[in-house]
Amino acid sequence: MDVFLQVVVNGLLLGGLFAITSVGLTLIFGIVKVVNFAHGEFLMIGMYATFLITTRLGMHPYAAVAAVVPLLFVLGMMTQKFLIEPLMSARNHDIQIFATVGLSTALINLALLLFGADIATTPAYGLRTAVEVGPVRMLVGQIVMFGVAAALVIGLHLFLQRTQAGRGIRAVAQNRAAAQLMGINVSRVYMITFGLGAACVGLAATLVAPLYPTSPGIGTYFVLTAFVVVVLGGLGSIGGAFLGAMIIGLIDSLAGFYIGSDMREVAVFGVFLLILILRPQGLFGGRQTLSHVS
Amino acid sequence: MKLTHLLKTTVAAGALLGAQAAYADVTFGALYPFSGQLALLGEESARGLELAVDEINAAGGVQGEQVVLERGDAVDNNQAIGEARRLISREGVKAIFGTYSSSRSIAASQVAELSGIPYFELGAVADEVTGRGLKYLFRVNPTAEDMAATIIDMIVDKVGPMNDKAPEDLKIGIIYEDSSYGTSVSGHEQAMAKEAGLNVVTSQAYPASTVDLSSVVLDLKQRGVDVVLQTSYQNDSVLFLQQAHEAGFQPLAIIGGGGGYSTQPTADAVGHDIIDGVLDTDFTQYIVNKDFTPGIDDFLAAYDAKYGGEPRSGHSLTNYVGAMAILTALNEADGFEPDTIIETVSAIDIPEGTTAAGYGVKFGENNQNERARMMGLQWQDGKLVTVYPDDAAAAEMRIKN
Repeated sequence: MDVFLQVVVNGLLLGGLFAITSVGLTLIFGIVKVVNFAHGEFLMIGMYATFLITTRLGMHPYAAVAAVVPLLFVLGMMTQKFLIEPLMSARNHDIQIFATVGLSTALINLALLLFGADIATTPAYGLRTAVEVGPVRMLVGQIVMFGVAAALVIGLHLFLQRTQAGRGIRAVAQNRAAAQLMGINVSRVYMITFGLGAACVGLAATLVAPLYPTSPGIGTYFVLTAFVVVVLGGLGSIGGAFLGAMIIGLIDSLAGFYIGSDMREVAVFGVFLLILILRPQGLFGGRQTLSHVS
Repeated sequence: MKLTHLLKTTVAAGALLGAQAAYADVTFGALYPFSGQLALLGEESARGLELAVDEINAAGGVQGEQVVLERGDAVDNNQAIGEARRLISREGVKAIFGTYSSSRSIAASQVAELSGIPYFELGAVADEVTGRGLKYLFRVNPTAEDMAATIIDMIVDKVGPMNDKAPEDLKIGIIYEDSSYGTSVSGHEQAMAKEAGLNVVTSQAYPASTVDLSSVVLDLKQRGVDVVLQTSYQNDSVLFLQQAHEAGFQPLAIIGGGGGYSTQPTADAVGHDIIDGVLDTDFTQYIVNKDFTPGIDDFLAAYDAKYGGEPRSGHSLTNYVGAMAILTALNEADGFEPDTIIETVSAIDIPEGTTAAGYGVKFGENNQNERARMMGLQWQDGKLVTVYPDDAAAAEMRIKN
């Protein structure tokens, strides 16, 4: 029983990791409707920034939030403005996908040039300390990550539901042409949304960096799961992404222990496919469309 | 700042190559991944070859001719093939040295074989490199199979007796990343463990890009595994060692298979106190019994003079030893015809304990150096120290508790 509890807790904490790394993607993928393959590399940039701030300035990784989140926000806005927007008028929207793949490869190689292929370790400042709650062990950093992920999801949900800007974003997501006719500056909404999505990745980076060593390829470790989580939760649904992350985390942990680690991905993607077959729009997906105009 | 440094070195290297080319008589290819993900250790490997060439040239060259290396960048498998073609047809190299990465080696050596140009593998470990029975390919360095053999020998000879356990009483757990590297090493481990009468209780693969090994750790802990064998890259090595520590899992021994276990950044990331006592197998490293590895100090001095500082891994030494063996032998040959080269190289007979890497050189079946072997290492006080076999050991193996 103790072991089962530990496996479940491991799964939920892993879910917290998946949630925090996918929330940004659900904004970009669900609202701007750009499949951002550079999502993982945004995380990598945030992690290197956290690494540099902690090692050079001797600051706590969580204090790096103040610099990393704005940095990623600007980076996200610039990506939208200078890379995605010019391609929005292209006849074939797949071009944007290739643009983000190009951005991803370019960023990985830039990091290789600047930092080399070796891993860079952000000081943990006690975040790797294990605490025991009853029979269960968990890390301080994991608990914080889980809490922040939940708070971020609730915060973003309130922002999208209750504020004027949030309503604007949802209107654009539902129907770009109609939103434009209602006087919403679509181009600006896209920029802000992309920036927000990237800023969420920045927040994630400061939480992930003390727990995982940074390397130029680190983004690829997270990006596939992030896409799975976002699609599972339903495009653009923040709460759905959180729930999706928990499901994936739990399956990963339970299957890893009870079936065997070789079968983990089979189980995760098997359940993923099953849910999509039964509910093609994802768990919380509404009747949204991937088209940019309708 | 790093970029300007890089540019400077490139320009300097270019100038150097140009200067040498004036006297050049014989050109060999140096095919390594010089850019991309594998660049760090690809470059490190190439340095060993360059130091060997410098030493040979300083002593009068090969057959009185100065050796010039023409670099080929094997950034991926396709480019490895393209660069091998370029080296052979445009640059007219007499032989190719390489490659660090097994997959690049397998791809490029195919081209050399078809062109009838000798290919000397100095660093790739996969079985298939020599397993294909190529005529023009020779491998000097030890292989994945040698790695598994050293691991199993180390358990039977050392880990068992030091913990007062017979081999069959030790519960062995094997975990490995699921690409060809982890699969081939762990496959040999399982077969050899069975032969040695060890009790393998579990064998599990996981993707190298995993971000969580806690379920694997928990499983090993529940099974009461005494010795964990992990074959892994860097991130997953760090992840396993950290998560094992955090879950309070303390087996009698953890033994890594090269890769992530041998680099200093891994030790720094995991923490020197946590990695202390962890065992590893790899190419010959630098904290070793120097009577067993004559010439290693000269190598280190030459390395420091040319590149500044200490080698970043054992790859440069392994490549240096391999290249020295081949080039020294070629000096005695008559001409650089492919068949002359392979005939000369096949006759190499260097006994153990006379090279800077410790092992000797004699090519056996499939042109694999049958005297090559891996060393057993242990992290002691933040340093990777050779502890096995006894004649190469720089320190006693320590056990936990």
